[in-house]
Amino acid sequence: MADVKLTIAGRPYDVHCADGQEAQLIQLASVVDEKVRTMPGGTEVRQLLFAALMLADETQEARSKVEKAEPQSDSLRAAVALAESREAAARDELRDAVAREQAVLRELETVRQAAPAAAASANPSHDRALLQIADRIETLAAKVEQLP
Amino acid sequence: MELDLDESSLAIGRIERALSRIEKALTDRANRTPAAVAAPAADQSTLKAEVAAVIGELDLLIAEAKRG
Repeated sequence: MADVKLTIAGRPYDVHCADGQEAQLIQLASVVDEKVRTMPGGTEVRQLLFAALMLADETQEARSKVEKAEPQSDSLRAAVALAESREAAARDELRDAVAREQAVLRELETVRQAAPAAAASANPSHDRALLQIADRIETLAAKVEQLP
Repeated sequence: MELDLDESSLAIGRIERALSRIEKALTDRANRTPAAVAAPAADQSTLKAEVAAVIGELDLLIAEAKRG
Protein backbone atom coordinates (compact mmCIF):
# COMPACT_ATOMS: atom_id res chain seq x y z
CA MET A 1 0.00 0.00 0.00
CA ALA A 2 1.13 3.55 -0.68
CA ASP A 3 0.54 6.61 1.46
CA VAL A 4 -0.70 9.69 -0.33
CA LYS A 5 -1.24 13.15 1.01
CA LEU A 6 -4.15 14.97 -0.63
CA THR A 7 -5.36 18.52 -0.15
CA ILE A 8 -9.01 19.24 -0.87
CA ALA A 9 -10.62 22.59 -0.09
CA GLY A 10 -7.49 23.56 1.78
CA ARG A 11 -7.67 20.62 4.17
CA PRO A 12 -4.97 17.89 4.05
CA TYR A 13 -5.99 14.23 3.98
CA ASP A 14 -3.73 11.20 4.46
CA VAL A 15 -5.05 8.29 2.42
CA HIS A 16 -3.77 4.93 1.26
CA CYS A 17 -3.99 3.34 -2.15
CA ALA A 18 -2.58 0.39 -4.04
CA ASP A 19 1.01 0.77 -5.15
CA GLY A 20 1.23 2.46 -8.53
CA GLN A 21 -2.10 4.26 -8.23
CA GLU A 22 -0.78 7.32 -6.41
CA ALA A 23 -0.74 9.57 -9.47
CA GLN A 24 -4.30 8.58 -10.41
CA LEU A 25 -5.51 9.30 -6.88
CA ILE A 26 -3.80 12.69 -6.80
CA GLN A 27 -5.32 13.56 -10.17
CA LEU A 28 -8.82 12.58 -8.97
CA ALA A 29 -8.34 14.64 -5.81
CA SER A 30 -7.40 17.63 -7.93
CA VAL A 31 -10.68 17.23 -9.85
CA VAL A 32 -12.64 17.23 -6.57
CA ASP A 33 -10.60 20.14 -5.22
CA GLU A 34 -11.19 22.16 -8.37
CA LYS A 35 -14.92 21.49 -8.15
CA VAL A 36 -15.08 22.44 -4.48
CA ARG A 37 -13.36 25.73 -5.20
CA THR A 38 -16.08 26.66 -7.69
CA MET A 39 -18.83 26.18 -5.09
CA PRO A 40 -20.23 29.32 -3.48
CA GLY A 41 -19.56 29.99 0.22
CA GLY A 42 -21.08 28.13 3.11
CA THR A 43 -19.49 25.55 5.33
CA GLU A 44 -16.75 23.25 4.12
CA VAL A 45 -19.13 20.30 4.41
CA ARG A 46 -21.72 22.12 2.31
CA GLN A 47 -19.11 22.95 -0.34
CA LEU A 48 -18.06 19.31 -0.43
CA LEU A 49 -21.72 18.25 -0.66
CA PHE A 50 -22.38 20.51 -3.64
CA ALA A 51 -19.14 19.44 -5.29
CA ALA A 52 -20.17 15.79 -4.89
CA LEU A 53 -23.62 16.56 -6.32
CA MET A 54 -22.13 18.39 -9.30
CA LEU A 55 -19.71 15.56 -10.00
CA ALA A 56 -22.55 13.02 -9.70
CA ASP A 57 -24.58 15.09 -12.17
CA GLU A 58 -21.65 15.22 -14.62
CA THR A 59 -21.18 11.48 -14.26
CA GLN A 60 -24.85 10.84 -14.97
CA GLU A 61 -24.79 13.12 -18.00
CA ALA A 62 -21.69 11.43 -19.37
CA ARG A 63 -23.26 8.01 -18.84
CA SER A 64 -26.41 9.15 -20.64
CA LYS A 65 -24.33 10.37 -23.61
CA VAL A 66 -22.54 7.03 -23.80
CA GLU A 67 -25.87 5.17 -23.74
CA LYS A 68 -27.21 7.38 -26.53
CA ALA A 69 -24.08 6.85 -28.60
CA GLU A 70 -24.12 3.07 -28.22
CA PRO A 71 -26.87 2.38 -30.77
CA GLN A 72 -25.01 4.58 -33.27
CA SER A 73 -21.77 2.77 -32.69
CA ASP A 74 -23.65 -0.54 -33.00
CA SER A 75 -24.97 0.61 -36.39
CA LEU A 76 -21.49 1.68 -37.43
CA ARG A 77 -20.03 -1.64 -36.33
CA ALA A 78 -22.75 -3.47 -38.28
CA ALA A 79 -22.05 -1.35 -41.37
CA VAL A 80 -18.32 -2.01 -41.10
CA ALA A 81 -18.97 -5.74 -40.64
CA LEU A 82 -21.23 -5.77 -43.69
CA ALA A 83 -18.64 -3.89 -45.77
CA GLU A 84 -15.93 -6.27 -44.60
CA SER A 85 -18.03 -9.28 -45.45
CA ARG A 86 -18.86 -7.92 -48.93
CA GLU A 87 -15.23 -7.08 -49.49
CA ALA A 88 -14.18 -10.59 -48.46
CA ALA A 89 -16.83 -12.17 -50.71
CA ALA A 90 -15.75 -10.04 -53.68
CA ARG A 91 -12.11 -10.90 -53.03
CA ASP A 92 -12.96 -14.61 -52.87
CA GLU A 93 -14.87 -14.35 -56.15
CA LEU A 94 -11.92 -12.63 -57.83
CA ARG A 95 -9.53 -15.20 -56.41
CA ASP A 96 -11.75 -18.03 -57.67
CA ALA A 97 -11.85 -16.36 -61.07
CA VAL A 98 -8.06 -16.11 -61.15
CA ALA A 99 -7.74 -19.78 -60.15
CA ARG A 100 -10.19 -20.72 -62.89
CA GLU A 101 -8.24 -18.64 -65.37
CA GLN A 102 -5.00 -20.35 -64.38
CA ALA A 103 -6.63 -23.78 -64.78
CA VAL A 104 -7.87 -22.77 -68.22
CA LEU A 105 -4.40 -21.57 -69.11
CA ARG A 106 -2.82 -24.85 -68.03
CA GLU A 107 -5.36 -26.69 -70.16
CA LEU A 108 -4.51 -24.44 -73.09
CA GLU A 109 -0.82 -25.17 -72.68
CA THR A 110 -1.54 -28.90 -72.52
CA VAL A 111 -3.53 -28.73 -75.73
CA ARG A 112 -0.84 -26.65 -77.40
CA GLN A 113 1.96 -28.98 -76.32
CA ALA A 114 -0.03 -32.00 -77.53
CA ALA A 115 -0.08 -30.58 -81.04
CA PRO A 116 2.59 -27.92 -81.25
CA ALA A 117 2.86 -27.92 -85.01
CA ALA A 118 -0.84 -27.54 -85.50
CA ALA A 119 -1.04 -24.78 -82.94
CA ALA A 120 1.79 -22.97 -84.57
CA SER A 121 0.71 -23.10 -88.11
CA ALA A 122 -2.87 -24.26 -88.52
CA ASN A 123 -4.56 -21.64 -86.36
CA PRO A 124 -2.66 -18.39 -86.30
CA SER A 125 -5.89 -16.72 -85.22
CA HIS A 126 -5.55 -18.62 -81.93
CA ASP A 127 -2.18 -17.02 -81.36
CA ARG A 128 -3.54 -13.58 -82.08
CA ALA A 129 -6.42 -14.25 -79.66
CA LEU A 130 -3.89 -15.39 -77.06
CA LEU A 131 -1.93 -12.19 -77.48
CA GLN A 132 -5.10 -10.11 -77.11
CA ILE A 133 -6.03 -12.05 -73.99
CA ALA A 134 -2.55 -11.41 -72.59
CA ASP A 135 -3.08 -7.68 -73.18
CA ARG A 136 -6.44 -7.76 -71.42
CA ILE A 137 -5.23 -9.76 -68.43
CA GLU A 138 -2.30 -7.38 -68.00
CA THR A 139 -4.76 -4.48 -68.03
CA LEU A 140 -6.88 -6.32 -65.44
CA ALA A 141 -3.80 -6.91 -63.29
CA ALA A 142 -3.03 -3.19 -63.37
CA LYS A 143 -6.63 -2.41 -62.36
CA VAL A 144 -6.57 -4.91 -59.48
CA GLU A 145 -3.25 -3.46 -58.31
CA GLN A 146 -4.73 0.03 -58.35
CA LEU A 147 -7.79 -0.89 -56.25
CA PRO A 148 -7.88 1.27 -53.13
CA MET B 1 2.05 -10.33 -88.61
CA GLU B 2 1.23 -13.81 -87.39
CA LEU B 3 2.66 -15.20 -84.20
CA ASP B 4 4.94 -18.19 -84.31
CA LEU B 5 5.12 -20.79 -81.57
CA ASP B 6 7.70 -18.85 -79.55
CA GLU B 7 5.55 -15.74 -79.60
CA SER B 8 2.52 -17.68 -78.41
CA SER B 9 4.65 -19.07 -75.59
CA LEU B 10 5.61 -15.50 -74.82
CA ALA B 11 1.91 -14.58 -74.68
CA ILE B 12 1.23 -17.43 -72.28
CA GLY B 13 4.15 -16.28 -70.14
CA ARG B 14 2.69 -12.77 -70.05
CA ILE B 15 -0.69 -14.18 -69.01
CA GLU B 16 0.94 -16.21 -66.23
CA ARG B 17 2.84 -13.20 -64.93
CA ALA B 18 -0.29 -11.03 -65.03
CA LEU B 19 -2.22 -13.69 -63.10
CA SER B 20 0.56 -13.80 -60.51
CA ARG B 21 0.32 -10.01 -60.18
CA ILE B 22 -3.44 -10.28 -59.64
CA GLU B 23 -2.97 -13.00 -57.05
CA LYS B 24 -0.33 -10.96 -55.24
CA ALA B 25 -2.51 -7.85 -55.29
CA LEU B 26 -5.47 -9.81 -53.89
CA THR B 27 -3.28 -11.33 -51.17
CA ASP B 28 -1.92 -7.90 -50.26
CA ARG B 29 -5.47 -6.53 -50.07
CA ALA B 30 -6.54 -9.45 -47.88
CA ASN B 31 -3.67 -8.69 -45.50
CA ARG B 32 -4.59 -5.04 -45.19
CA THR B 33 -7.26 -3.66 -42.83
CA PRO B 34 -10.54 -4.68 -44.49
CA ALA B 35 -12.50 -1.52 -43.64
CA ALA B 36 -9.76 0.63 -45.06
CA VAL B 37 -9.53 -1.20 -48.38
CA ALA B 38 -13.18 -1.63 -49.29
CA ALA B 39 -13.43 -0.86 -53.00
CA PRO B 40 -16.64 0.54 -54.47
CA ALA B 41 -19.05 -2.25 -55.37
CA ALA B 42 -19.34 -0.95 -58.93
CA ASP B 43 -15.57 -1.28 -59.45
CA GLN B 44 -15.62 -4.83 -58.13
CA SER B 45 -18.58 -5.79 -60.35
CA THR B 46 -16.83 -4.35 -63.40
CA LEU B 47 -13.63 -6.21 -62.59
CA LYS B 48 -15.48 -9.47 -62.01
CA ALA B 49 -17.31 -9.05 -65.32
CA GLU B 50 -14.01 -8.40 -67.12
CA VAL B 51 -12.37 -11.44 -65.52
CA ALA B 52 -15.39 -13.59 -66.42
CA ALA B 53 -15.23 -12.32 -70.02
CA VAL B 54 -11.54 -13.14 -70.37
CA ILE B 55 -12.10 -16.61 -68.88
CA GLY B 56 -14.91 -17.16 -71.37
CA GLU B 57 -12.62 -16.24 -74.24
CA LEU B 58 -9.88 -18.55 -73.00
CA ASP B 59 -12.47 -21.33 -72.75
CA LEU B 60 -13.50 -20.68 -76.35
CA LEU B 61 -9.88 -20.65 -77.46
CA ILE B 62 -9.25 -24.01 -75.80
CA ALA B 63 -12.37 -25.52 -77.34
CA GLU B 64 -11.22 -24.32 -80.78
CA ALA B 65 -7.67 -25.57 -80.18
CA LYS B 66 -9.03 -28.99 -79.22
CA ARG B 67 -11.03 -29.13 -82.42
CA GLY B 68 -7.89 -28.19 -84.31
